[in-house]
Amino acid sequence: MKFGLKLAAALVVGIALGLFATWATVIYGAGPNALSDGPWQTSLATGSAKSGPYTRAKVAMHGLLALNRSETIYYTAYTDSSGAPLDGACAYDVVGHDPDARWWSITAYGTDDFLIPNPVDRYSISKNSVLRAADGTFSATVGSAAHVQNWIPTARAPFSLTLRLYNPGASVQSEPGNASLPVIVKDGCT
Amino acid sequence: MSARAWAGWIALTLLVAALVHAGSLYALPYVVMNRTFSILGDRNMMHHMARADANSRKVVRPSPDLLYSACPYDLSKGPLEIRATIPHDTYWSVSTFDDDTNNWYVLDDRRTNRNKLDLVVQAPDSDHEVAATEHRLVVTSPSRHGLILIRTLINDEDRFDQIDRTRRLATCGAYVPSE
Repeated sequence: MKFGLKLAAALVVGIALGLFATWATVIYGAGPNALSDGPWQTSLATGSAKSGPYTRAKVAMHGLLALNRSETIYYTAYTDSSGAPLDGACAYDVVGHDPDARWWSITAYGTDDFLIPNPVDRYSISKNSVLRAADGTFSATVGSAAHVQNWIPTARAPFSLTLRLYNPGASVQSEPGNASLPVIVKDGCT
Repeated sequence: MSARAWAGWIALTLLVAALVHAGSLYALPYVVMNRTFSILGDRNMMHHMARADANSRKVVRPSPDLLYSACPYDLSKGPLEIRATIPHDTYWSVSTFDDDTNNWYVLDDRRTNRNKLDLVVQAPDSDHEVAATEHRLVVTSPSRHGLILIRTLINDEDRFDQIDRTRRLATCGAYVPSE
């Protein structure tokens, strides 16, 4: 009986530890082949048959049906450019110029990885929709307080941003960790 | 209990943890993909999904700027044929995913000058291989189950209806050899 109890305890604790390790890896692990460009994180192996089990598990949970990097490069930011977590109680300026790609967009997602409900049904800015200054640069506001233009609405809660580069240029493909991507600057919190 | 016995139990616990971790990590993509197949609807049919908004809950992190048409497939009864109109005035792509989430094929509007897509997807162990022709592309899936996804970019909101109509022409069904 004592042996049976010990065996059951070892199995239960072992299973719990194993599942916890998988959960923690998928939620918090950067995964192999991951790299950063400022606050933007990406994986060289996303969508590729060469990706390992860690990358595949992360893609399954956070980026299912992602295309491989020759077609599209996906960057995700969970923090601003200073490293502070993105929070909808604050406003952020996303400032930069068009990334080297045929088409790009920046979209906000809640912690559940879905689009964030908002009164104007707006979820992204893109190469087609963003308004630019005379020098070609753009500045978009991300946050819960309403803005007329270049606004990506969020809830007053943590969120993340995904930057999609469709048909990325040769420079981004060869050095995705060294691309010239927009900065994310906190404007203030309420 | 002796120190040696404790060490044995701890080693057993860690071994179980390692096996469960590896097993769940490998199984997760298959579980998620099969759940997605079921959520999208019947196999071997094209499902033209509505434009993504905050109510869209089928696939994580959808793009609100793209229109998605998806065909979850099961090749156990034979090859599939996907037909679509390829627009050349916006980004368009057809991509294929195996049941382990890998994107094993992609063709976009810039990589072809065809106006019509005729794509046959066959199983890795297909009895009769379909031959490619001048008008027909043939690819072999690494798995019997998977997903075909067509993305069409809404590059002009004023043209939404036209873009939507065109992408809804895409079909997915059993390949029928011509006489």
